[in-house]
Amino acid sequence: MTWLTWRQHRAQLITTAGLLIALGVLLLVSGREAAAYIAEHAPAGCPGPDLACGDLNAAIAERYNAIYTVYGWLPIGAPALIGAFWGAPLLGKEFERGTNKLAWTQAVSLRRWLGVKLALLAVAVMLGGLALSAMVSAWRPIFGDRGSFGNLGDFNMLGVAPAAWWLFAFMVGTAAGAVLRRTLPAMAVVVAVVSVVTFGLFSLSDHYAEPTRLVTADATATYTGDVRLVGKAWVDPTGTEMGSPPQGACPRGTDVGRANALQEAYERCLVDKGYRHVVYLHGPEQFWRFQWTDAAILFAGSLLLAGLTARRTTRRRA
Amino acid sequence: MNNAVEATGLGVRYRRSWALRDCSLAVPAGRVVALVGPNGAGKTTLLHAVVGLLSPDQGRLTTSGEVAFMAQDKPLYGDFRVAEMLRFGRRLNPSWDGEIATERLATLGIPLKRKVSTLSGGEQAQVALVMALAKRPELLVLDEPLANLDPLARHDVMRALMTSVAERGLTVLISSHVVADLEDTCDWIVVLNRGRVQVSGDIESLRTEHLMLTGPVELADRLDATVIGASYTDRQATLLVRSAGTLDPRWIARQVTLDELVMGYLRSPEAAALPAPVVVQA
Repeated sequence: MTWLTWRQHRAQLITTAGLLIALGVLLLVSGREAAAYIAEHAPAGCPGPDLACGDLNAAIAERYNAIYTVYGWLPIGAPALIGAFWGAPLLGKEFERGTNKLAWTQAVSLRRWLGVKLALLAVAVMLGGLALSAMVSAWRPIFGDRGSFGNLGDFNMLGVAPAAWWLFAFMVGTAAGAVLRRTLPAMAVVVAVVSVVTFGLFSLSDHYAEPTRLVTADATATYTGDVRLVGKAWVDPTGTEMGSPPQGACPRGTDVGRANALQEAYERCLVDKGYRHVVYLHGPEQFWRFQWTDAAILFAGSLLLAGLTARRTTRRRA
Repeated sequence: MNNAVEATGLGVRYRRSWALRDCSLAVPAGRVVALVGPNGAGKTTLLHAVVGLLSPDQGRLTTSGEVAFMAQDKPLYGDFRVAEMLRFGRRLNPSWDGEIATERLATLGIPLKRKVSTLSGGEQAQVALVMALAKRPELLVLDEPLANLDPLARHDVMRALMTSVAERGLTVLISSHVVADLEDTCDWIVVLNRGRVQVSGDIESLRTEHLMLTGPVELADRLDATVIGASYTDRQATLLVRSAGTLDPRWIARQVTLDELVMGYLRSPEAAALPAPVVVQA
């Protein structure tokens, strides 16, 4: 079975390894080049969030625009590709070509056929995800600390997230292939499910921990950092928390279009009268807690999908 | 005598309709069995149940020993080389006989290096058959093995099959909707119609039991035989009958061909259902 798994899926294995190596080379070359460029041009303490670094940051961003674009697609693109090309054909193609009738009438049981394939490919997929995570983790610090928690794209490229996401996408593709018995529709399902679950989990992550409560006169500073904003409220001068200040507390105009001046004036007035912003957020110290919670959910999802796949195939309707 | 396949009250349902219903059948070991019936009669469903590709919703089914299956359209992995197909067989079957496989392919002149997808339809059928035979099965199940093959390839496949049957005395179950394809090679016939078994028996005995009678219409009412099928002109009746007693001398009787026998039963599914046309003997 090990040989058969390799023989039937070597194209995906080799292509994925090749793409990872190509990406690795791209990151390595761009990283070394960027390090040299920064060493030559950067003032002390840059690159970083400091004001003095602004010019350098802009120059770097322009220089490596193409690589950032590739990088920006990876959090959803990579799992989608894994699900579409590793997962969807695993059963979809067998059903389409009728070769399941050949494979499942050999002495090796269907249970074993499916078990070995799923186990070996799942391990390969997770190793690939970990390799990606390791490469990205080594590459990003060259460009300064840009945060890794608040931005969903960054967060899903670090730690255990790529491995969990790749596994989940692989199982979505496999299960879709088992249910639909066709490769192409199963591929479409992968893209849809991966996109929806990516943003779904980001919304759900608000509840992964008790958010930090900050009371401040200037809210902007707190939530432009590397944080995930959960909610906003107000406290009145007596310290009572409320969703919004009482009507008539301050004159309130309505901004037109994208202008924000009237809203800002309203909030300044409230702050002057002793009202304060309340901000609920998750800070970057929650990185690993959130990584493992996401991973646990995706693992559980993958297990359920494996169960569904086994049910749909061992129910034996050829 | 041992039975290679035994089914009792077999039922398989697809959503609401029954593909097989109350299907009972016994196939003695060592026979070459033709499973015939019109399209949609349930032949493929029955074969899939026999080889374990689907589990019946009702009834019981037993097979004895190693079973090999060649599915309709003879699925193979098109991107594999022939040698890799053999490796697939070896890896997935402890009983695999690699020598048989390579010898047969050498005899057929199919190079092991060729990609399966570049082989002709006849060659692919031969490779599929080799894959099935190299498992050294006691029961070989073939679903429409001759469909989509040109006459020459049909002949070659059937000859290859018959040679192995003669060499090893295995039981073979072949489905087809063309009776003529199987007439020369099979010695047992199962007629499946609308998901039920209508006939199951030794071909020679069936042909002795049945007669085709031609005679005056007025004699038809007073006939001492079970009438399976009948066609009439103004004056003449042509009847397919079973277990005829003493016949009026005005009847002209002749032996039936297998095709006539099958057609007769298929045309009158009710007549054949009551009573069971042939008692299945274990």
